[in-house]
Amino acid sequence: MYESIGPDRFELISVAQDSGGPSAINKWYDKAKPTYHCVVDPTHEISSLFGWVNVPSAAWIDEDGQIVRSNEGVYPSEVSIGFGLGKVRAGDDSFAQATRDWIERGADSEHVWSSRELAERLKPVDDDKLLAEATFKLALHFEAVGDSERALKHFAAAEDLAPDNWNYMRQGWTHKGTVYASWKILKRTADLRKNTDKSFYDPTGLPGENYRRFTETEWLWTPALKRVKQLFRD
Amino acid sequence: MIILSNGKTTEAAQRTDDTETLWVRLGELPAATGWQMKPQGACLGDLCVPVPEHKREEWIADAEDWVWLNYSEFADLLGQKYVRDGDVWSLGSIPEVRRMGLESAVAPDFELTDRNGDVLKLSDFRGRKVVLFSWSSW
Repeated sequence: MYESIGPDRFELISVAQDSGGPSAINKWYDKAKPTYHCVVDPTHEISSLFGWVNVPSAAWIDEDGQIVRSNEGVYPSEVSIGFGLGKVRAGDDSFAQATRDWIERGADSEHVWSSRELAERLKPVDDDKLLAEATFKLALHFEAVGDSERALKHFAAAEDLAPDNWNYMRQGWTHKGTVYASWKILKRTADLRKNTDKSFYDPTGLPGENYRRFTETEWLWTPALKRVKQLFRD
Repeated sequence: MIILSNGKTTEAAQRTDDTETLWVRLGELPAATGWQMKPQGACLGDLCVPVPEHKREEWIADAEDWVWLNYSEFADLLGQKYVRDGDVWSLGSIPEVRRMGLESAVAPDFELTDRNGDVLKLSDFRGRKVVLFSWSSW
């Protein structure tokens, strides 16, 4: 997206939210060899400051330093994300197209939000969520100093206080290993699909978006199952 | 004791006679919490909160050769949540700062380090359009 829109026309800043710090994310950067700015955010400051609850999230910031749009679940195109026993498809190109439009037309872009729209669209914050944030940061501290027992205790408390904050949950689950985290995330998204009309991400409201993205899990055995079903039908 | 605030971890002195309350030495207040005592009150950048006259004795104490602010009481007034485990105190966001940020829609500034150890500061990009995005390995 960055290359195709034009590096001279805007700045792209990628912020890795990983309590593991550089060692957790360097292999990704080594592979992607990005030409844009890449920083590491072990304490999830970006999400605290911008009110984000999942990754990837993105904000457009104009020349005056004003936030003119902020969304969760923004991918440059459709991607397939593997989770051990399953994979999910996420994203579409609606965000890349909207970004291109904003970079070309600035404030005239129809995708730009006013400050009122921004306040209305960001997830509301109550006392429990504020306490969850402090609790999550406490968990990250104990994780960083190697006190696993206390880290897990506070990760669990943060999850209870803010059950819709995927950043807290996913980072916390990762403390028990990526397999455990993958299993939890697939289970939780399956529950969402079964019991609610919510999706893993809030809709972006961009034209052409795939609203229920990240809800259709394809398990390792799904293709085989499909074939067996097909056989019975035939 | 250790204070976690705004992504920073700061070692600060603790009042030994009252460890249940978050007392912070006035001199350590800016580094540990971002707040600074000024004649008009406690200030965080341009935001100043006067210390109520009737609370002055409760909030500001002379003890163990230093002057301390009762940050627990101050945070309660701000609606700032905090949680403690042992000698580690973690402070949440300040609702008023968040509200002001949303009203003005000014992007909050931050400083983060890239993989080469260079510091990136958002406000250095004024005059340019910025797309800021988060991701993770998990």
